[in-house]
Amino acid sequence: MSTVDHLARARTLLAQHPVVDGHNDLPWALRKQVRYDLARRDVGQDQTGHLHTDIPRLRAGGVGAQFWSVYVRTDLAGDEAVSATLEQIDCVDQLIARYPGDLAAALTADGMEKARAAGRIASLKGAEGGHSINNSLATLRALYALGVRYMTLTHNDNTAWADSATDAPGVGGLSPFGHEVVREMNRLGMLVDLSHVAATTMRDAVSTSTAPVIFSHSSARAVCDHPRNVPDDVLALLPSNGGVAMVTFVPKFILPAAVEWTAAADENLRVHGLHALDTSPEAMALHAAFEAAHPRPVATVVTVADHLDHMRAVAGIDHVGIGGDYDGTAFTPSGLDDVSGYPNLIAELLSRGWSEGDVAKLTWGNAVRVLRDAEAVGREERSRRGPSNATRESLDG
Amino acid sequence: MADLQDEADVATAGIGAPDRPTRKRGSQDEVVAPGDTLDPDVRARIHALLRAHPVADGYNTLAQVLVNTPWHDVELGESSLDTDIPRLRHGGVGAQFWSLMVAADCPDPVSATLERVDRLRTLVDACPEGLRLAQAVGDLADARNHGRIASLFGPVAAHALGDSLGTVRAYHALGVRAVALTATASWTRAGLTRFGQEVVRELNRLGMVIDLSGAAPETVRQTLGAAKAPLIFTRSAARALTDHPLNVTDEVVGGLPENGGVCLVSFSPAQVARAGRAASVQDVADHVEHLRGVLGPDHIGLSGGYGLTAGAPRTVGLEDASCYPVLLAELIGRGWDDTELAALTWGNFARVIRDVDFAARAAQPRRGPSTATIEDLDPA
Repeated sequence: MSTVDHLARARTLLAQHPVVDGHNDLPWALRKQVRYDLARRDVGQDQTGHLHTDIPRLRAGGVGAQFWSVYVRTDLAGDEAVSATLEQIDCVDQLIARYPGDLAAALTADGMEKARAAGRIASLKGAEGGHSINNSLATLRALYALGVRYMTLTHNDNTAWADSATDAPGVGGLSPFGHEVVREMNRLGMLVDLSHVAATTMRDAVSTSTAPVIFSHSSARAVCDHPRNVPDDVLALLPSNGGVAMVTFVPKFILPAAVEWTAAADENLRVHGLHALDTSPEAMALHAAFEAAHPRPVATVVTVADHLDHMRAVAGIDHVGIGGDYDGTAFTPSGLDDVSGYPNLIAELLSRGWSEGDVAKLTWGNAVRVLRDAEAVGREERSRRGPSNATRESLDG
Repeated sequence: MADLQDEADVATAGIGAPDRPTRKRGSQDEVVAPGDTLDPDVRARIHALLRAHPVADGYNTLAQVLVNTPWHDVELGESSLDTDIPRLRHGGVGAQFWSLMVAADCPDPVSATLERVDRLRTLVDACPEGLRLAQAVGDLADARNHGRIASLFGPVAAHALGDSLGTVRAYHALGVRAVALTATASWTRAGLTRFGQEVVRELNRLGMVIDLSGAAPETVRQTLGAAKAPLIFTRSAARALTDHPLNVTDEVVGGLPENGGVCLVSFSPAQVARAGRAASVQDVADHVEHLRGVLGPDHIGLSGGYGLTAGAPRTVGLEDASCYPVLLAELIGRGWDDTELAALTWGNFARVIRDVDFAARAAQPRRGPSTATIEDLDPA
């Protein structure tokens, strides 16, 4: 079958089984670019050149549900991180209010199904990093009440109670309070997201969690040895846990040659006094100059499909998903340049012999199942115990 | 997880001593509620009045107590607190603003405020027969008609807004309905800065009540000029009678009738005591009457300032949340008629909530959420 046929089949499939994407940083991009002035960056129109994400391209990409990240940088701490997270949440609420014909707030798996049935993109919120709750379970509950349905336990830096994949070992996984955070998330029905966390934290969280966990945007470490990816032994835990690992497209995590190139490019930003994650025009210009001098290794749909084949082999078809990290990364793979690219990935998988049923699980079924299962665990746990008032001081000493 | 708490700062009876019994009608060692000693005719009149026009109270700090000691049984009664549902019912309370205020020097005021919101949400969930969350004016009457105490969350302290309108909207989404423009933020310290004015506009747009108790005089004056909806003093008495920073001078509060707002008169002993003697219900009545003289009967209400642990200083006769009838009896003795009392307990408060709601509905089609930032409006 030709590539064109695979692409046509992919589009037909996505119409029935749209993509649930685990991670998109549009809110942060809107904060940086226009300070949440949504009128100045109308994502109802094509925003190519400014953003990876807008509604026309989400539609073209066959996206049916999006976890919008309410990420804030880890150099914000304490109240500043909490307040910035509340602003990010407010941004998602305003997006949903502004585009009611295209986006629909979803708080549950049923809400996702309902949005799909109404032809809307189900919009969920995910917090990225435990710094957003300022060591407070009450703040965690406030985020849940505001619609946040997963929390990544750390971002690139350790929290006081959980180790990050990209920081020096701290508490060696989860501290006692970290375990309590996981239990409280289980009780609420908030998904525990293990992207960004250290392998020790992954294992601790899987062992404590009574609900399925997710990796909202992580790929396979065996394919590309980067700490942001999931080791095989953890992928192998997913069948019994019931969770899902959502493959990410970030070239510097998935393509070995890009890992090295990125280290050099980050160093280039650093010598100019900029943060490695900066996506300001100034930083992008520096990146472009560096790229002109040092040709950038390019990831493609093939790279991503290689990761998915491996993740599927280790974790099983019921435990894979997609988390592109659009607008959270400076570069994207060829063919997956923006949120309109998902059909290219599906076509590649079809050409590798993935069945339509396999694809439906990857795009829609697994992610919806995981949220539904976490809700069921939450209902059951809430019938047995009330809100935890534990503090980090009381548990971690 | 009560056993994890080690900050039990409540005064309790000695170990082994029995807790004070809860009130049981007809039992031998019946504890007499303050209102029960009133003249039967007056008592009957007050009960009839409160059935239709229950007390809508402006300030109760129970949330703060529950942050430190979340295990209290508010539903069935707690002798170590001055507020629980039996006493609120005995006092004829039909609506309550539950304060979310945090200290001016609180290191993480946003998180600390979210803790209080969390305790209140848990409390309201745990007492479905006593409390009902109220977020709009319809909820007030609805709660009253269902025999529930309408629970309004707020006020939040000015310095707990994170200088961020997005954070204000998040509080609103969590059910918070009042913000205090206390002199604890850069934009309220001495009048309203440009960002402060934008906060007022956004609060009006959202339908959140603006509380001016504890605000600087210039901030009060400017807010009266800027606000498009009635304002509230959630806990102020008359400065003319008692010099206390939370009390209002006749001059500062003078613009309130034109604005349509209401001053809820505090019972707090420090705010009503005079000339070195212990504060009493008569002092509170004097403050109420003074402010009625200044503002008129349509712009005053009640603010018990309860939500404290048992050892806190008290106004004699108004020791806990069951005592409102004692004050009403005092006012009846001074010749108040039922119309005036009904405005004092419920009517004025409910009118302000309704007008704030109405102003928000009028504003929303014309104004979207504000994206202004303090950096843009108040450059250093």
